[in-house]
Amino acid sequence: MHQETAVLRHEFDPIDRELIESFKAGSSEAMERLVERYENRIFTFGLKMCGHRQDAEDIAQETFLSAFRHLDRFRQETPLKNWLFKIAARACFRKRRKKKGEPDREISIESLRHEDGNGGDYFIPDPDESPHDAVLRLELKTIIDNSIRSLPPKYRMVFNLRDMEGFSTEEAAQIMGISIQLVKTRLHRARLFLRDKITAAYREGGLQ
Amino acid sequence: MTDNCMKHFERISEYLDGELDPATCIEIERHMAECPQCENCVESLKRTVALCRKMGGEKLAPDEATRIREKLRECLFREHKAG
Ligand SMILES: [Zn+2]
Repeated sequence: MHQETAVLRHEFDPIDRELIESFKAGSSEAMERLVERYENRIFTFGLKMCGHRQDAEDIAQETFLSAFRHLDRFRQETPLKNWLFKIAARACFRKRRKKKGEPDREISIESLRHEDGNGGDYFIPDPDESPHDAVLRLELKTIIDNSIRSLPPKYRMVFNLRDMEGFSTEEAAQIMGISIQLVKTRLHRARLFLRDKITAAYREGGLQ
Repeated sequence: MTDNCMKHFERISEYLDGELDPATCIEIERHMAECPQCENCVESLKRTVALCRKMGGEKLAPDEATRIREKLRECLFREHKAG
């Protein structure tokens, strides 16, 4: 497979830079502020990857602890946020290994194509008209969360980084240490897979 | 699915993400204008992503945030003392 290496140039966030300097100088308040800036995103990522709040809490914990321990070696060539996600991604994989979680597998493009003509009529609710009713909303959220959870881990990670967290293809490649082409392939299959899952959940008598 | 549909099917995500060159985009758009199946395919995929983004968010609870910070402070302070 063709390997493109991601070369990224970033302006380092000036607030992060200042907080990192203060932390190195011994400010515990700077530590608190750095955590405050990123804790929700790291926790969300952990939860989306592992599916359990306790695991997500552990991942956030491990991520920040590792980051603060190694902050003096962090050269600020990538944004702090990307560096934190890289640590968090590793923590997610470790957690899965430790828990002897589901094995990773590939999604074949053939399984998503519906050449027989069935399954081509997708039912995806309009995101702009998501239900006002709290029960229906929760039901919809459960369908979405379960669908994302049912992705094989390496596809789930690409989807979470790209579509949930908004990282670019290049950034996701750098965070996961894989090629740009592989990010694109996995993202496409993950999206197609989710479309099928959500449609199936509706067909099986979900919301209407 | 025709061969043309197949060819485009592989590139829908790149199309949605604006990662294709203009000529390929035009080619896909022309095809969609005459192929309702492919148009539906692209639209539903776009919706899937938008829906996940909208409904998939999570929020750290205050007690979870407190626990994370407390443990961090504890670990880092202990290490600091140990030198
Ligand atoms: Zn077509």
